[in-house]
Amino acid sequence: MLKYNAVINQEISTNDLIVKEICPVIKINLRGKTREFFTSVGKCLNMILPTEANTSSSSDQLTAIWQSPDEWMIVSNEIDNNDTNTSKLNELLFNNISKTNLGAVTNVTDQFVQLEMKGKNIYDLFSSGSPFNFEEFKERKGSTTQTILNNIDVIIHNKDQNYVNLYVRRSFANHLFDWINDYVSKL
Amino acid sequence: MFLINCPYCGERDQQEFKAGGEAHIERPKQPTELSDDEWAEYLFIRKNIKGVQFERWNHAHGCRKWFNMVRDTSNDEIREIYKMGEKPPSQ
Repeated sequence: MLKYNAVINQEISTNDLIVKEICPVIKINLRGKTREFFTSVGKCLNMILPTEANTSSSSDQLTAIWQSPDEWMIVSNEIDNNDTNTSKLNELLFNNISKTNLGAVTNVTDQFVQLEMKGKNIYDLFSSGSPFNFEEFKERKGSTTQTILNNIDVIIHNKDQNYVNLYVRRSFANHLFDWINDYVSKL
Repeated sequence: MFLINCPYCGERDQQEFKAGGEAHIERPKQPTELSDDEWAEYLFIRKNIKGVQFERWNHAHGCRKWFNMVRDTSNDEIREIYKMGEKPPSQ
């Protein structure tokens, strides 16, 4: 664990685009496919995992992002102010899913950096560096996609109109942020 | 550049995928009984035909799932896409 160090220590703030890192936020990768797995996860999280492709489901505290037919990323909706590196959610899932061999639970809190992006220019920015067609995506609140942006793997979650959360691997975060900064400088 | 309809995620650009070579190559049931030439043929020799070919593809930058594709290599026309484990369409 990396003690939740922030990767990006600056913020982009223009009239049309705001980008900042949200940190620390608990993120857990969940894999499984049996009915018992779904039941157990439902009891632990008090929510149902989305089974429709490119969608998400949310409760007050958590969001579950569909990644593949047997893989999800669980993200906390709140910043974790815990001083320790242990997470109650991770322990709960680990004890009920991993230890019982129903599926796999991996804490990816430090692996992914969460960027909050707001503004009317976010889809112009995405379109300039991604082959994904965002036309339907931007109309559907809660939709998600895994694609490439400036040749970097990203997960994008549509939170609301002109408001998305973008997840990028930690080692690529600075490079992606620099690319976004460069785009903003040309606006 | 062309679009590929991932059986799990839907239509995506080819950039998100990786080709995995010819599909439906059966591993020999008794590898130890094969000659070196037969083993090399199983490992390395591919049809690589010009025309309709059965291929494996991976949605590497999306859901990371493997699937099969029937593709005309002469013009990149995708005839059919089906999941791993499903029977190939008749030629």
